[in-house]
Amino acid sequence: MTDMTPATVDPIKLEILSSAYKSVTEECFISLMKSAYSTNIKERKDHSTAIMDADGRLVMQTMVSPIHIASMTASLAAVLEKFGDGRNGGIKPGDMFVGNDPHVAGGTHLPDVNLTSPIFSGGKLIAFAVNIAHHADIGGMAPGSMIGGMTEIYQEGLRIPCVKLFREGELQQDIMDLLLLNARLPAERRGDYFAQIAACRLGVRRVEEIIGVHGADTVVASFDELIRRTHARMRDSIATVKDGTTTFEDVMDDDGRDARDIPIKVSVTIDGPSIAFDFTGTAPQVEGNVNVTMNATVASVCYAVQALLDPYMTNNQGVLDAIDIHAPEGSLLNAVFPAAVASRAHTCQRIVDVVIGALAPLMPERAVAAGNGANTMAVFSGNDPRTGEGYVYLETIGGGMGARSDKDGKDCVQVHITNTSNLPVEAIEMEYPLLIEEYGLVPDSGGAGAFRGGCGIRRVVRPVDHEFTFSGVGERFRHKPWGIFGGHDGKTGRFALAPQDGAETVLPGKPSNVRVKPDTAVILESPGAGGYGAPENRSPENVQADRRSEKFSEDYLSVYESSA
Amino acid sequence: MGWIIGVDVGGTFTDFQAIHSETREMHLGKRPSTPEDPSRAILDGLQEIAAEFDIDLAEVDRLSHGTTVATNALIQRRGGEVALITNAGFRDLLEIGRQTRPHMYDTHLDAEAPLVGRERRLTVGGRILADGSEFAPLDMDAVDAAIEKMREAGVEACAVCLIFSFLNGDHESQIRDRVQAALPDVSLSLSSEVQPEFREFERFTATTINAYLRPVMDAYIDQLGAGLADLIPNARISINQSNGGLMSLGMARSFPIRTALSGPAAGVVAAVDTSKLTKRANVITLDVGGTSADLALIRDTAAKLTYESDVAGFPIRLPMVDVSTIGAGGGSIAWFDRDGLLKVGPQSAGAVPGPACYARGGTEPTVSDANLILGRLSPTLIEGGMTLDVDLARRAFEPLAERLGIPIEEAAQGVIDIVVANMVRAIRTISVERGHDPRDFVLMPFGGAGPLHARPVALELGITEMIVPGAPGILCAEGLLVSDLKESFVQSHRTDLADGALERINATAADLMKQAEDWFGTEGISEADRSYELSLDMRFVGQNFELNVPVWSGPTPERTAFTDVDTLRQAFFDEHDTVYGFHNAEAPVEIVNYRISANGRQSRNEAAAKPQIEAGGGEPSSTRQVWFEGGESVETPVYTRKTLDIGQTLTGPAIIEQLDATVPLHPGDRATVDPLGNLLIEVKK
Repeated sequence: MTDMTPATVDPIKLEILSSAYKSVTEECFISLMKSAYSTNIKERKDHSTAIMDADGRLVMQTMVSPIHIASMTASLAAVLEKFGDGRNGGIKPGDMFVGNDPHVAGGTHLPDVNLTSPIFSGGKLIAFAVNIAHHADIGGMAPGSMIGGMTEIYQEGLRIPCVKLFREGELQQDIMDLLLLNARLPAERRGDYFAQIAACRLGVRRVEEIIGVHGADTVVASFDELIRRTHARMRDSIATVKDGTTTFEDVMDDDGRDARDIPIKVSVTIDGPSIAFDFTGTAPQVEGNVNVTMNATVASVCYAVQALLDPYMTNNQGVLDAIDIHAPEGSLLNAVFPAAVASRAHTCQRIVDVVIGALAPLMPERAVAAGNGANTMAVFSGNDPRTGEGYVYLETIGGGMGARSDKDGKDCVQVHITNTSNLPVEAIEMEYPLLIEEYGLVPDSGGAGAFRGGCGIRRVVRPVDHEFTFSGVGERFRHKPWGIFGGHDGKTGRFALAPQDGAETVLPGKPSNVRVKPDTAVILESPGAGGYGAPENRSPENVQADRRSEKFSEDYLSVYESSA
Repeated sequence: MGWIIGVDVGGTFTDFQAIHSETREMHLGKRPSTPEDPSRAILDGLQEIAAEFDIDLAEVDRLSHGTTVATNALIQRRGGEVALITNAGFRDLLEIGRQTRPHMYDTHLDAEAPLVGRERRLTVGGRILADGSEFAPLDMDAVDAAIEKMREAGVEACAVCLIFSFLNGDHESQIRDRVQAALPDVSLSLSSEVQPEFREFERFTATTINAYLRPVMDAYIDQLGAGLADLIPNARISINQSNGGLMSLGMARSFPIRTALSGPAAGVVAAVDTSKLTKRANVITLDVGGTSADLALIRDTAAKLTYESDVAGFPIRLPMVDVSTIGAGGGSIAWFDRDGLLKVGPQSAGAVPGPACYARGGTEPTVSDANLILGRLSPTLIEGGMTLDVDLARRAFEPLAERLGIPIEEAAQGVIDIVVANMVRAIRTISVERGHDPRDFVLMPFGGAGPLHARPVALELGITEMIVPGAPGILCAEGLLVSDLKESFVQSHRTDLADGALERINATAADLMKQAEDWFGTEGISEADRSYELSLDMRFVGQNFELNVPVWSGPTPERTAFTDVDTLRQAFFDEHDTVYGFHNAEAPVEIVNYRISANGRQSRNEAAAKPQIEAGGGEPSSTRQVWFEGGESVETPVYTRKTLDIGQTLTGPAIIEQLDATVPLHPGDRATVDPLGNLLIEVKK
């Protein structure tokens, strides 16, 4: 602005504008969900939408995963770097950028595709409408583009640098053709891309309408003011925690290749309104695909801090700017090219556990025990015998939630950085040649405690009249979700094969391309969660409720005998 | 031919409207609700209006009743003792739900716990597949074992919820027969009857809620029915449902869940009636009460139904009048969030202590206080029955104004601006986001606080005309008078929309028509009063959200069979265009659900009630200072609504007061009393 006195936005106007921005991201979110084709988006809502300002700062979002936020901000940073200030043809009205690469386009893994469109007023760039969606397949060596065994980014699918999908309103058909040719199920991909495009355009149109009513200067000033106020709120929240330095360490099971027991280590320092995280001591990046790029590490830490300190604040740039994070370059949490990253969500879950573990002594009421600490994933693919056509069914499965200071951990739920829905059993069986034999909780899987951990999910899937290929990615399949303040650990998860007549075979934690015949069922069991406080402090009523519910065996319940 | 009475039981008041079916004589009544036994207010109120207006209760032909008994039991978790019988392997399905948390960041907030604890969730072997075929027969020994457990536990109700029962309900019926024979006092709810549709968690949830509410509804109807049988022995009694239609007491006993969202539906039905009578085909309703605002969209004189709602934290996928609710009402409290933004609601001062100006101990600034400060709300409510204290309102607003560094009136205006922005946002959700331009609609405010906020809402949305009904505060009771008996029938059948499917489509439609016809017979509805509407839930193959597309309606079940699928496909494309702004002409389309809505007309006399005008000549009774916009107050005449003559026109600024609402007429706006007693307001651009 050339004006020396910037437009001021009072708390009334700011609330009205903030509510209008929220309404835009929500409308885009719903529009994307309802018009998408892939089950991943339409039923599991694995997508997010946002408004960012002209400098690429996050203003408002509607999301299912904080990692999406990291990806959208970093992806826009890539757009600004490549096309800003008139470089490479510049940023023009009607442009739309597409990108997914974690190493050059701000992505966090390849299936998450970002779309970004600029919003102008009077020839001046004011803001961006951004969305991200998890495509069920983006090519690469395995259907679903997510499973274990990958060792470099090239195997994980199509790498899209930051490029223009639309130039001044004109679809670049060449680019679209290239995107579609490199994915399995191109018809479904096309539907998803068009749903994303429509949602992006909608965002542009709606923000333009708001500018039309309130004026560009006020809108820009409101962006600054919203971010400034959130930043101040975040620092106030941090200041309420007592100063000090704490450390914590946990280990990942493995990377699906040769690395096992991979350490993640943090040291947290709180000093007045400042908070700093140092991940020095964390393992170097690994061969397998559990590496995390820095932007996803930042998102995971910010999630944990916000959940502990102030769950209801607006998530915008003000939060990101209030938290200082260091992870050594080339480490598991700041991976560099050509690291494979497809399964980064598991590692992100573990970052959250480690951060909460470190901060727990400073804020025991808000802390939670370790949850299922994973993003347990199963991918089934084959040819549908009814139609002869190929299918890919991908699902992430919730598990136990860690126990809390005032109540048990919830059973069978997505925790921390993911909150995607399941697919209804009836939808699975109508859409795919699969029979779901069981869908329930894993008994005894929540760790005992004054408040117990949540139980994991058990799902048993059988192919109908054909052979399918099963791949999975599990974590906390060897290292238990820990309890806190005397609470016991929860149970680990497992994948297994159950032939009709024969003993179960336990599979590795990250199995890839296992052939399964119709006489065999696949058993998926996600991890439970840790307990909070010593079991002897559990109230007799709660022990009685555990017994009545039949979620726990008598053997398990004997841990409470001393408490009665 | 005698009296028809509508009774709407709300949280605070029970409203009555009585109309004579021939003379069109009309009377209103209002008395405090009796939440511990809602039937008492109804029975007492009936005797009261009978005495006051000299109505012979033996001449009451019909009584239509809106009740929140089920809704309240659900919110307060006061339902019956329920057991659930489900497939082996799926005992935890109800508890897992969609495996999501209600809030991303709040690790202490959980989804609602199921209404049936795990110890009461019983499983039986047997399985139906995705094509409706039987994969494994029902294990009767397991059913018997479940029956023994229910007997031991002494349950009152049982929900039967099996996978794919919407395609093949045999196993559920077998279980029902066995349970009924063994435990005749246990009421049964079958998922194949409560909601025979795809998606098991949502279907099981609806069925469990229905089972949970059955003992409550039975007790209520026993009590009310006995009292009414004595008082109005010749009347046919019906109960309002969430889809905006009425049902018999028998249906209400079997499907109490259908009343769970009926509260706001009756008001929308009345608005539909007004939209027909005033020939305003497109209307947006704005019903503002003490704690919330209900919004609905009427297009071509019909309210849209939705199949996705949430009640008390549970998803309910049953047809309901599409009403969206936000926490913005007269009692909504203004507060500063931790980042300093000013928020209004959803917390509400409610009826107790109420807004500060009620002088019942409330000290927080509310929306009603703001309206009183600005002079828009009258200091005397309900014809002198209640006085509002403007000094208390100003005192409540002082800290807020001080913190913002602005005069009290400006702070009050700011609070109203925010509440209006929230209403506008909600209206955009039901209009713009579904492909409708609000400028093509008339705004109809009602409820005690609707007219107070309607004008800025209209202005913001580009709406140029408003209708304020004759009695905006008791519109729900009026809606009950004009409601029809209504029943929905559904079959889930995935059908590819191709020429080969015509036989299937016509056969399924005919099957549903037959069910509807049987229902008309059972309810004793004469042929002249029947109508049928066929709609299809369709989607592009591969999508998972369906659009409900009306494809045929008529007065008899004789329907010309569809001879090609192109018209059906085109109807789907049109709807997809409206909702999403595009369609893909090459992509294959499929039908997911077939629906028939059967309507039994109740209100035979189409003439409107006669408005009653009192003497007073339409002259202002007083004047007062009112702040409209621009920070300056203006001397404003105050009129009494019931003295306004038909055809009389007023130009703002003016305040129009009545028993149950205050209508501020902004400077330059013109209000005309139409022949039906509605106030038509032209908004000055």
